[in-house]
Amino acid sequence: MRLAALDPEAGAALRVVSYFDELAAGHAGLQAVVRGAAVLTGGAAGLTDDRRHLSVRVAADGASSPGAPDPGWLSTPVDEGAVLWLERTGPARMVDAVVLERAAALARTVLERTRPLPGAGAAGGRQDDALLEVVGDPAADVVARRAAAHALGLAPTAPARAVVFAGGELRVLPAHEAVDPGGRRVGVGPAGPVEDLPASLAAARRALRLTAEDTPGDPGPRVVHAEQAQALLLLAGTVTPASPPVADVVALERAAAAAPWMLGTLHAVVSAPTRRSAATDLAVHHSTLAERLATAQRLLGWDLHEPSGQQRLHLALVLRRLHRNPA
Amino acid sequence: MTTTSSGTSVPVGPPPPFDPEVAAALAAMGGFPPITPDLIPVLRQGLPGQEPPSDADLARGGAFSVAERSVPGAAGDPDVRLLVCRPTGTTTPVGAVYWIHGGGMVLGDHRSGVLEALDWAQELQLVVVSVEYRLAPETPHPGPVEDCYAGLVWTAEHAAELGVDPARLVVAGASAGGGLSAGVALMARDRGGPALAGQLLIYPMLDDRNDSPSAVQMGDTGTWGRTANDTGWTALLGEARGGPDVSPYAAPARAEDLSGLPPAFVDVASAENFREEDVAYATRLWQAGGRAELHVWPGGFHGFDTFAPETVIAKEARAARLRWLRRLLAD
Repeated sequence: MRLAALDPEAGAALRVVSYFDELAAGHAGLQAVVRGAAVLTGGAAGLTDDRRHLSVRVAADGASSPGAPDPGWLSTPVDEGAVLWLERTGPARMVDAVVLERAAALARTVLERTRPLPGAGAAGGRQDDALLEVVGDPAADVVARRAAAHALGLAPTAPARAVVFAGGELRVLPAHEAVDPGGRRVGVGPAGPVEDLPASLAAARRALRLTAEDTPGDPGPRVVHAEQAQALLLLAGTVTPASPPVADVVALERAAAAAPWMLGTLHAVVSAPTRRSAATDLAVHHSTLAERLATAQRLLGWDLHEPSGQQRLHLALVLRRLHRNPA
Repeated sequence: MTTTSSGTSVPVGPPPPFDPEVAAALAAMGGFPPITPDLIPVLRQGLPGQEPPSDADLARGGAFSVAERSVPGAAGDPDVRLLVCRPTGTTTPVGAVYWIHGGGMVLGDHRSGVLEALDWAQELQLVVVSVEYRLAPETPHPGPVEDCYAGLVWTAEHAAELGVDPARLVVAGASAGGGLSAGVALMARDRGGPALAGQLLIYPMLDDRNDSPSAVQMGDTGTWGRTANDTGWTALLGEARGGPDVSPYAAPARAEDLSGLPPAFVDVASAENFREEDVAYATRLWQAGGRAELHVWPGGFHGFDTFAPETVIAKEARAARLRWLRRLLAD
């Protein structure tokens, strides 16, 4: 491109901006960013990142070769532990300054997108509340939502999902990334385009209401994936703690009050494939389980040996959670 | 969605996206205007940063001897100037690249683009002969291609004097030079010589009709858009452009018979006007029973490797040409 030779300084600076804008639009990788810095300044350029244990160096002709920075060269920090350098000493020409600024900004974005560090960005600690608000807001402009998703470390074309934790913390993650509940109840939204994150968030919030603490008083799954509970999400959209409980839920609460083992036993029975495995899950003898179920049937008022009775119990347990978990 | 004007109704979508680095280079260059005939004199003054190489550039520190020769043109035509670069370290006859420069039939000279041919020559020990053909519109068809052919004939006839092994003579060129290379390969076949070991066609300009699906799809994006292509072909062919009577020596896509041609290397970019005509030419060479190697570089614009030589796809495109030559000319 021979830009430095081609243009007076101000024009070259403008072209540098265009160059890195195009690289950003094309989701170019780190090599391309460093190569751009080298080509546009007519000298070798490099980037080292101690935290990510990576080093990239590109000569002015675009060829890659290893190398480390010299303290005397022009350089700029990319982020904590990472530095971008040009293999020339000062004073910086205008083109050097613009290249350093633009290349470092783009390199930071690329690193966060392609090599997120554990405990940073999407992978760990709290994400920025303001960005999350935009990305999950169906009323926000789609361009603004895309930009917010990008700032949160999401690739524009890769599927993503929203995740809501008990207590209200929200997070957006690439679809392939595992959800770490960190000891909390979690509702996991369906994966889809970043533009659909508001819908994923709404589903994640409903899914969270289907979760339980997994304790004797609140048995049930700590993590619920919206994709796997679609019919129950419809129920979650209707039933709130303020809704009057149906008679089956009243009966369930009455039974729960009668024995400390009641809810755990009933949950085991509707979630385990067989009575025998339910007994194993509860660590009781199967004859003990049979006795407990006889008591439960009497208190509930319906037969738990029939599939329809099992389903009725399952839905009563779900409804109980929806009455307990705020909308 | 639009369809081509040729009535074949091939539906085309938007232009394929440019490779990010290639797009960045294009943006940094500030883009290219559609080249209309009035811009030809302006462009002939040369682009800053694209000055032709000096004799010292060509000599490469003594690796090559550089000479200009004036040789007979076709009957009734003026002499043709040739640039001859010979590797200094050889004593036995070596292969040769006969280089035909690009420039849309209207621009450039025999030093344009010759540095890439010198790269091959330096790597493989070759002589480079580059021809200064007359340009359109001042010299319409068949002047330019006849100049190229006359220089080729002279080169083959003077192979011994040039230290060239006549069995290893390859014609090569980019863009218009690729089209002219394909044209002289057809002439050499039809006129009984010179024998060619290969034709290296770099995104060649082959079809004056300028209405392929890729021509329609790409429009005036990139560097050499549909308007520029119309300018070049009209300069060469005048009113005949796109009509029924265009010679295959001017527009090799018009050739009905592509049998009996030397092995071909064809490359082109996916995001350029010439994509369809170049892919079709390679396909037709195979259909005719010939040998051809085709590369389509994703997301390049026309001439991406000369305008953005530092990019990954430019390096790969250039490496592929060298590898083909190395295989072709291996002893």
